[in-house]
Formats: sequence, structure tokens, C-alpha cells
Amino acid sequence: MIRKFAKILLALLVLFFIVKPAFAQEKQVNPVRESELSNGVNVYFFWGEGCPHCAHEKPFLEQLEKKYPEVKIYDYETWGNSDNRKLLIEVGNKLNANVSGVPFTVVGKQHFSGWLSEETTGKSIEEAVKCVLRDGCYDVVGEILVSKQAPVQKEEPCECEEEQKSAIPAELNIPIIGKVNPRNFSLPVLTIVLGGLDGFNSCAMWTLLFLISLLLGMKDKKRRWILGSAFIVASAFVYFLFMAAWLNLLLFVGFIVWVRILIALVALGGGGYNLREFFVNKDSGCKVTGGEKRQAVFEKLKRITHRKQFLLALGGIVLLAFAVNLVELICSAGLPVIFTQILTLSHLAKWQYYVYMLLYIFIFMLDDLIIFFTAMITLEMTGISTKYSRVSHLIGGILMAIIGLLLIFKPELLMFG
Amino acid sequence: MKVLKFGAVWCSGCLVMKPRWQEIEKEHPWLKTEYFDYDKDKEMIAKYKIDKNLPAFVFLDKDGKEFLRLHGEPSKDELVKTILENKEK
Repeated sequence: MIRKFAKILLALLVLFFIVKPAFAQEKQVNPVRESELSNGVNVYFFWGEGCPHCAHEKPFLEQLEKKYPEVKIYDYETWGNSDNRKLLIEVGNKLNANVSGVPFTVVGKQHFSGWLSEETTGKSIEEAVKCVLRDGCYDVVGEILVSKQAPVQKEEPCECEEEQKSAIPAELNIPIIGKVNPRNFSLPVLTIVLGGLDGFNSCAMWTLLFLISLLLGMKDKKRRWILGSAFIVASAFVYFLFMAAWLNLLLFVGFIVWVRILIALVALGGGGYNLREFFVNKDSGCKVTGGEKRQAVFEKLKRITHRKQFLLALGGIVLLAFAVNLVELICSAGLPVIFTQILTLSHLAKWQYYVYMLLYIFIFMLDDLIIFFTAMITLEMTGISTKYSRVSHLIGGILMAIIGLLLIFKPELLMFG
Repeated sequence: MKVLKFGAVWCSGCLVMKPRWQEIEKEHPWLKTEYFDYDKDKEMIAKYKIDKNLPAFVFLDKDGKEFLRLHGEPSKDELVKTILENKEK
């Protein structure tokens, strides 16, 4: 089944790379020459080919241009055109704004990330246009385009409101619960759900359980705690490193549609695998697989924990935690990769990305922490039931499939904050 | 009747089942049970072909012939019911 899936994935990949050059030919060249900049209100629209948000914003901007003769729209396709992407990054630096996603619209000194509807984002853009018409404002993008020559518009500082606009409405009115702010609510909930689903597999904690069984045989209490804690911290750190590296890679390459589609396929594949597990594997309990690999890890763990020199044992545990978790991560990287992709879709400050990643890892490690602390305090090993793993396969499968479909067809619904 | 319990130290479900069996054994002292570790008791693992899920519980009759096998985490009630129904076997 997995092999079959890998073949399908490979075929799709090849297909995408064959199709991609055809799209590449449609690349837009920068449509604006500096001397052509209008003296009215310039609206700069950064978009991506195939981005549904952008497709919704485009007709609105065209109408805006008709409604206000002073308005001139300049559009920049950023996914296929690297020059336009560079310009977007420069604009982001100047505005001190996160430009990892499109559509990104700039009016004077104001910028708008994402697009929700004409009534929300559209209204804000129109307000900004009216404001520039009324009060005048620096044309930030225009300034960049004319290479810091004379400002295109009046030199007075802009008095317009510079609040960051987002694609998600500020408040949602939910019956019974009342007003909820989805910007503050959705991403933490999704983080907890995905982290929980990722960490819920109690069969995956076999290394920790074996380590605890060895630690419980030790007389030195301090050594027990330090070695066990070192293993858990090192495991969490590997996860953090992986997610941070992946996040930075995604932010570096920008909002490229192929990366998003690829991750969507990972999500669909992972969803399919989980659903298959739900229907096929009806017994609870842990599958007996990877016997030789497990034995090798057990032997190493035994040797390391029994080393007389404490520092050598500590170093060994940390190295082993790195090695084991790296292998595990490669096998089950689906959810952290999907989660990181959702993070990059959301417009967040860099530190916020890391806070969410830490929250994800904490939830992911929660069952390990419970098992470890219970064992260290009671000096008895306890297990977490595998009874609910079937339910988690079902929920995880459905959720991953939905995320996969959303990433392809409606990524705007995954843009938080 | 005798119950062979197969488990492993790294298997979370086996740890969950351990106290459950302890209770049953205490309440039914006539019941014969024996525990085998997946990594240590290779002979028994091979003999009973434990190659699917852990924990596994193999029920043997008076002649040592297997008549039932359970996997995963059966409830205490389910186990007691099975044991009492097959007490005379």
C-alpha cells in the first residue's frame, strides 16, 4: 500500500515538473516602469498564479480602478517571477511586514495581507485609497521603484491609520458561545489538536519505555532523573530543530505553489494511511515490527545507562535520543511538516512561529512526560492505553485529508492571524 | 485452563494490562497464568507465532491446546467472562 502510494506520489511529482515549465512560460514581467508611475493613488497588488485569494481580490481592484479615476493598479506575480518576489521582499523590509504570503496589497504606507471579502479587506483597501486621496501619503513601493528619487506623492507623513489588515475577520459571532476572535483562537486550537494527534501514538514511545525500565533498576535517584530528563529534552530538541529548519526553508523559498501542493499530497497520503489503519487494523495493542532495529537500540541503551562515568552516560543518552528521534521523524514527518506549512501561511512575527512550534512539541511530548514523571515518582511503570489509537487514526485521517484538500483548493481558510 | 500472556517492556498496552491481570488473578486464584517477554522468551514467541500485535493472550485447554487468542486491551469484564465460561475446559 505504502509502495503503491509512493509510486503515485512520484508519478504526480513528475507530472508537476513536466507541467511546471508550461506555466513558467506565462511568467509576467514587471509591468511597471518607474517613469510610468501615476501621480494619483498607486495600489500595488502582489499576487500568485493559482492563488485563490488573489483571484478573488483581482476583480475588486479592477472595479476600484474604475470607481476612482485617480487609482492605478500595478500588479506583480510573485510565485513565478523572481524579480517581483525580490521587490515584495524589499517592500516587506521597508514596511516591516511579513511578506511570506500573498495577496499582499500596498496603498501608500498601508499594507494588507490576505483577502477575505469585499466587505472586510476590500472595504479596508478602499478606506486606505480614500485616505490617501484626502490626506496624501508617501508611496512606499513607488519610492523603491524610483530608487529613492523624489517621492511620488506629497512629502507630508501619512496620517492614515496603519493598522495591519488580515484575511481573517476580527470577530465571529457564534451562537451560544458568543463573540470569538478567530485570529486568537483558531491557530492555538489547531496546534493543540495536531500536536495531540502526532503524539498520541503510545506505541511510538517504545524507546522511552525501555529506558524507564532500565532507569528503574538503578539505585542512584539523581542519575535516574537526569538521564531520563536528558533523553526527553534531547528528543524534543530534535523535533524543534527539524521544525525550525523546515519553517525557515519554507519562509526562504517563499510562497511557492509547488511546495504547498507537495505538502498537500503528504497530508492526503498521511490521511489515507491513517484511515486505512482505522479500517484494517481493528485490534488495539502495538504492532510487532522492526525487531532487529529495536534490539540494537535496546543493547545500546543498556550499555549507555550502565556506563560508570556519568558524563559519558549522559552524552550517550543525548546522542541516542538524537539518532532514534531523527529516524522516527523521517518515518512520521507528515504532521510536523503539515503544521509548519500552516504556520507559514499565517502572518505571524518570527517569535510567534517559534512559540507555536514549542506549544506543538509540548503537546506532542505530553504523554511521554506523564509516563516519565509517573514512573520516576511511583517507581512503577505505567502505560498509556492503546485503545484510543484507532479513534485517533480516524480523526487524524479525516483532519489530514481535509487539510490536504484545503491546501490545494482553499489555502485562504488556513491563513490565521 | 491456562492463559499465556505475551508482552514486552516497551509496549504501552502491555503495561496497561498488567494491573488488570493482577486483579483477575487475585480474584480467581485457581486460574493458571504465565507471562512471556517478547524479547526474552524467543522459543515461546516462535512456538505460538506471536507476530501481530502485543499484548497477546493465548487460552489453552486441559490438553494444552489453544482454543482462543485475544490481542490488545480486552476489558476486565470481558476477560472474566471468557475465563468463567471456559473454566471447565
